[in-house]
Amino acid sequence: MADLSLKHIYKVYPNGTKAVNDFNMRISDKEFIVFVGPSGCGKSTVLRMIAGLEPITAGELKIGDVVVNDMEPKDRDIAMVFQNYALYPHMTIYENIAFGLRMKRVPKDEIDRRVKEAAEILGITDYLKRKPKEMSGGQRQRVALGRAIVREPKVMLLDEPLSNLDAKLRTQMRSEIVKLHKKLNTTFIYVTHDQVEAMTMGTRIVVMKSGFIQQIDTPKNLYKYPSNKFVAGFIGTPQMNFFEGTLKKVGDEVVIDFAGSDAKITVPYSMMMKTTPSYLNGDKPVIIGLRAEDISLDEEKVQKSAAKIKVKISHTEELGTETLVYGDIDMNGDGFAETNTRVIIKSGGFKDYTPDEVLEAALDISAVHLFDKDTEESILPRIPEYNYVDCVSRGGKLSFSGVNIAIPPAICLDEGACELLIPPTAITFGGDIPAEVEGCEDISGKVLISLEIGERRMFALSDRKLPEGKTAISIDLKQVAVNMGGEQVISPMPTVNTLNGTFSMVKSKVQRSDGKKQKVRTYYANIAGKQLVMPEEVYLKMFSALSGRKVYNTTFDYEFTPYDFTLAQDGLEGEVQAMLDYGSELFAKVKVGGSILYIKAENEVAGKVFLLPEMAKVSVIEKERGIRIV
Amino acid sequence: MSSAKSAAAKAKTKRILNIVITYCILLIVAFIFFFPCLWLILASFSKSGSIYTFDGFFPTEYSVASFNQLFTDTVMYNYPKWFLNTLFIAVMSCILGTLLTILTAYVMSRFRFKSRKAMIKTTLVLGMFPSFMGTIAVYLLMTQFNLINQQWGLILIYSGTAPMGYLTQKGFFDTIPYSIDEAARIDGASNFTIFIKFILPLSKPILVFTALTSFAWPWSDFILPKMLLIDQDLYTVAVGLMSLDETQFSRFAAGSIIIAIPIIVLYFCLVKYMINGMSAGAVKE
Amino acid sequence: MEKAKQILRSFFSGLCNKIASFFKGIPQKLRSKLAAAKEIITQGNGNVGASMCIMGLGQLLYRQWAKGTLYVLLQAAFIIYFVMRGGADFFGLFTLGQVKGDAWYGIKGDNSIIMMLMGILSVIMIIFYIAVYITNIKDVYRTQCAEDTLKRPPSFTSELKDLLDKKFYKTALVLPIIGVCVFSILPIVFMILIAFTNYGGDIVPPELVDWVGFENFGSILSLGQFASTFFRILGWNLLWAVLSTAINYFAGLALALLLNKKCVKGKAFWRAFPILAYAIPGFITLLGFKFMFSYGGPINFYIQEGGGKAIGFLAVNSKWAARFIGLGVNAWISIPSTMLLATGILSNINTDLYEAARVDGASAWKQFIKITLPYVVFATTPVLITQFINNFNNFGVFYFLRDSVRSEGYFLANNTDLLINWLYRMSIDNNYYSIGAAISLIIFIITSIISLVVYVLSPAYRQEETFR
Repeated sequence: MADLSLKHIYKVYPNGTKAVNDFNMRISDKEFIVFVGPSGCGKSTVLRMIAGLEPITAGELKIGDVVVNDMEPKDRDIAMVFQNYALYPHMTIYENIAFGLRMKRVPKDEIDRRVKEAAEILGITDYLKRKPKEMSGGQRQRVALGRAIVREPKVMLLDEPLSNLDAKLRTQMRSEIVKLHKKLNTTFIYVTHDQVEAMTMGTRIVVMKSGFIQQIDTPKNLYKYPSNKFVAGFIGTPQMNFFEGTLKKVGDEVVIDFAGSDAKITVPYSMMMKTTPSYLNGDKPVIIGLRAEDISLDEEKVQKSAAKIKVKISHTEELGTETLVYGDIDMNGDGFAETNTRVIIKSGGFKDYTPDEVLEAALDISAVHLFDKDTEESILPRIPEYNYVDCVSRGGKLSFSGVNIAIPPAICLDEGACELLIPPTAITFGGDIPAEVEGCEDISGKVLISLEIGERRMFALSDRKLPEGKTAISIDLKQVAVNMGGEQVISPMPTVNTLNGTFSMVKSKVQRSDGKKQKVRTYYANIAGKQLVMPEEVYLKMFSALSGRKVYNTTFDYEFTPYDFTLAQDGLEGEVQAMLDYGSELFAKVKVGGSILYIKAENEVAGKVFLLPEMAKVSVIEKERGIRIV
Repeated sequence: MSSAKSAAAKAKTKRILNIVITYCILLIVAFIFFFPCLWLILASFSKSGSIYTFDGFFPTEYSVASFNQLFTDTVMYNYPKWFLNTLFIAVMSCILGTLLTILTAYVMSRFRFKSRKAMIKTTLVLGMFPSFMGTIAVYLLMTQFNLINQQWGLILIYSGTAPMGYLTQKGFFDTIPYSIDEAARIDGASNFTIFIKFILPLSKPILVFTALTSFAWPWSDFILPKMLLIDQDLYTVAVGLMSLDETQFSRFAAGSIIIAIPIIVLYFCLVKYMINGMSAGAVKE
Repeated sequence: MEKAKQILRSFFSGLCNKIASFFKGIPQKLRSKLAAAKEIITQGNGNVGASMCIMGLGQLLYRQWAKGTLYVLLQAAFIIYFVMRGGADFFGLFTLGQVKGDAWYGIKGDNSIIMMLMGILSVIMIIFYIAVYITNIKDVYRTQCAEDTLKRPPSFTSELKDLLDKKFYKTALVLPIIGVCVFSILPIVFMILIAFTNYGGDIVPPELVDWVGFENFGSILSLGQFASTFFRILGWNLLWAVLSTAINYFAGLALALLLNKKCVKGKAFWRAFPILAYAIPGFITLLGFKFMFSYGGPINFYIQEGGGKAIGFLAVNSKWAARFIGLGVNAWISIPSTMLLATGILSNINTDLYEAARVDGASAWKQFIKITLPYVVFATTPVLITQFINNFNNFGVFYFLRDSVRSEGYFLANNTDLLINWLYRMSIDNNYYSIGAAISLIIFIITSIISLVVYVLSPAYRQEETFR
């Protein structure tokens, strides 16, 4: 019945701690969303902000079509289940469940009907006359659930509801909550620190760490395509194995060198196409992640596999259906401490391994995860950052694998060999470069297309799936960076133009048609000495994000894309510094006040110009707290 | 074998000795605390009033004359009237004082507002001043407000200063989980409703404790009544009994016993609340 | 030794840090307040200005009739009060009266003391008024903010409703604050001021009282009759406070532990006796004991029976006898409450600790020393401080036992009097008001220093430090 949308939600405490940073998410109706993360990651804060128990510092929270930022919890049509149940100790179970309805002044017989119905669903009909303290933990949790569902809320919020229960009860209640979700057909938002709960219950999971969203995805994708080392390590038991090492591309092969060990394996480059190439020169340390089930000690597999490493067995954990084998790829390691040479291997059935035995293990490289050692971000993203293309610049043309592209005047490039960094978004369909669609992959709403251009594999983004076969593309050169001799000689044109400014209001009197004078307020963004009229949807958001009259006393960053400007007779005064001609498009580099803007131009301009930004498309950032308001 | 046996026997004698000593001490303690009370009770049944005719701790002759006298001979010492005065003052201050203290403690425990910390510090500092440092000022104030020689003046002072001792109660409220308030808020209750419907019913132990202490104070206080009450008719029992001398000893004893009985009964009935209340405040302070 | 040094060092550095951070915080707070004021002054519109001139006018201009009227009425009420008496009261606080009354000529003079009291009251009223005035300006500015950012200002009814919800603390605190202001703060401020006047002795109304600065403190600390009495009493008072607190605390604790023993059957029965002692109103106990130790009392009866001479335990010439009796009587009254407290705390100890200790083979005595005692001491330190201060200011014991006695070498006091008894007798019985007030200030300083030190040295505080 209700979608939930969280836009640029922030929680900043008065002492300056940011508990939640730029939380963006759309939750559709009937989803089961799980927020998961270690304690203090802000997951509960988000939930409490949705509930209305915690004021929202900035951002917009919508339930259905209504902005509920300033609404009381009771009016938000939500219900919440607390970790410690928060039952009213002095009331009977019946009164506990009925209290919310009584406060809403629901007629008595209606209350009775609904309470009994809820009790029926949860199997607590026999206990309605008892007090909470006469009930067990599991029963209390059922009462708490009953108290929530009897309100028939649009959104059910559950804050670690199972963490006070013992292991067995927890598993049981877990499936009951899932069942309840199916039965009630409402949106559930569930907070937990337990990744198993998250994986088993959620239709989508939000992984959070220190106030930032790490990844929002389905359980399957989270497991298969973690976007950083934190998510990779957090999801799945036993924890993913992390090794340190380097990657070096030699011809059509990549050599993976494991640090702290002699192990070295060679894999074909085609398996690691999406890897960010700057990591492939053998000197940048990376983290290599492999799950326990992607390493095998099975002799048959080992024999067949090309990627083998030696493991010194340390000890095993027998779990019945499988055995976890602990070992170390460093022959001096002990296999107990969590180091970057320790390895855990899942092995089927019961098998005896002798400690200190050295065995060969096969690695499934198609399932490898690679992360930057410092940023811990994935360097093997599902959507690669760039397509790296070696090409040659000669005679005003860039040529690679039989494709020639004219270099537009905006790009001044010396002749010689160079490397193009083409982001997938820069490849658009339709154009004059022939290509072949090799396959499509659906990635959270977008479609990643693998293309064959000449003999090169490239990736592009599209909104829909394309049939395999021939097609034609064009490359948007303003998004492309060029490296020559190891240095970046051409950078992509900036697409964000930032302007400093303030906000103001002017009152004036306007003659109405009936002759009476009417007070009118106009709201302006003051940029570089000019007043630009703000559209309503923008200033309303600014008003809701800032308390009091702060909005009039704050300096903002106003951000525009190059396409949001028009050249006019009046507007921001600027000085054209250069024209950038990308062939199909023409841009002007304009200096306005202290900032440099790149704007789309229809034709050559020079000297003094006036720019009119399209205010409806502005992004507004409050610098002091670092909050994106619009 | 035998050594183990003798060790066991030794342990047994040790245990028995332990028990015997424990009970001996307990008997002595009981005697120390009970004997003065017994003495007062005996004295109240003495036939002659003066302490000088006693045979040590024990009166020479017993009768209920003192009690009779207490309620019949009211010309000089109007005991029934004093008793009623005390009761009135104590009950009224108990009601008002408990209300104010509980409200203060609830607010300090549940709300976070700007001046909260300053208020807590102020009350701590104010508590350091000698309790009746301002007695003279109170006296003058009462004369200005025409509340001298009036029971309401006393009630106002007792209940007006009661909120200063809110810390124990706050300690108790702090132990009520905050999520109950939040659950109630989601259910649509205002803070006032939460206070009335949840906090108050859940804080019965501390309510009883507060009521008891704020009843016991005016019931046995003598400084303020002595200063503010002039007419004999308005005296509380404490002030009245203080005006009795050694020759009126049995009368004093009888009066004491009658005034002590209600409060003793209350304490015995509510001893559980007392223990909980005291430790709640102590640990959380 | 080393440990003590370390504790002392950490105490002083902690104290210095606390004070430093307190003062460091002030300029910042002040700056933010100033910034807020500047914002209102520079950016407030006409309606804000109107409210600055006449409280409530801005609200009326914003068509907030009820609220505006309320503010206007408050302003009117204050002006009437100020004109009628507040203004005169306020200035009276400084002059303390100029016209001396003279019944002969029929001149009705100024009563300095009443003027002072009313002066303080007027200061409180002025502070309240300023607070209301500032809220009034803030309120109208808030309305302007709401209007300027197209938010709807809360309606009067919703603001009233808020007083039972989000602002319930305001509603709830009104009565307690008034009570504390009138009956605690006002009297204390009054007495502090009195300590700096010459009120008392011959100088009582209709004589005019005057400000004398620190003269009273000087005479207490150096002038013959006061100084010698003061230091004698102070010495005994400190000794008394330490001894009585120690006796009551440890005896109460011991009693609670005794009653907590497993082998004791019928705990409720045994506990009843101390509770009986606790429940009896203090004045009855004290008067009873006074009778018990009086010349004709039972103790002396048995002494005489035994052939001895009646002893004046509480009479003029006794000193230590009376002091010991005081300690004993106080113990009789106070031990039960410590016992009840300790019983409550003992019932909260986690029994797992004992089981762990037993597994480790600790003897009963070891368990007591290592688990029970540290826990109870930790939990009761704040109570210990309160008990110490209560004992330091224990008025009742010697007031009832020996109020009428005067000892040689003491000015208006006897050798068992505590400062508080002396103060009472000086000011209430003998009109030495200003000296009495100065003594109470000195008591305040002593008690607050002692409790601060004890608090900082207490395990509860140090624990907090280590956990931080």
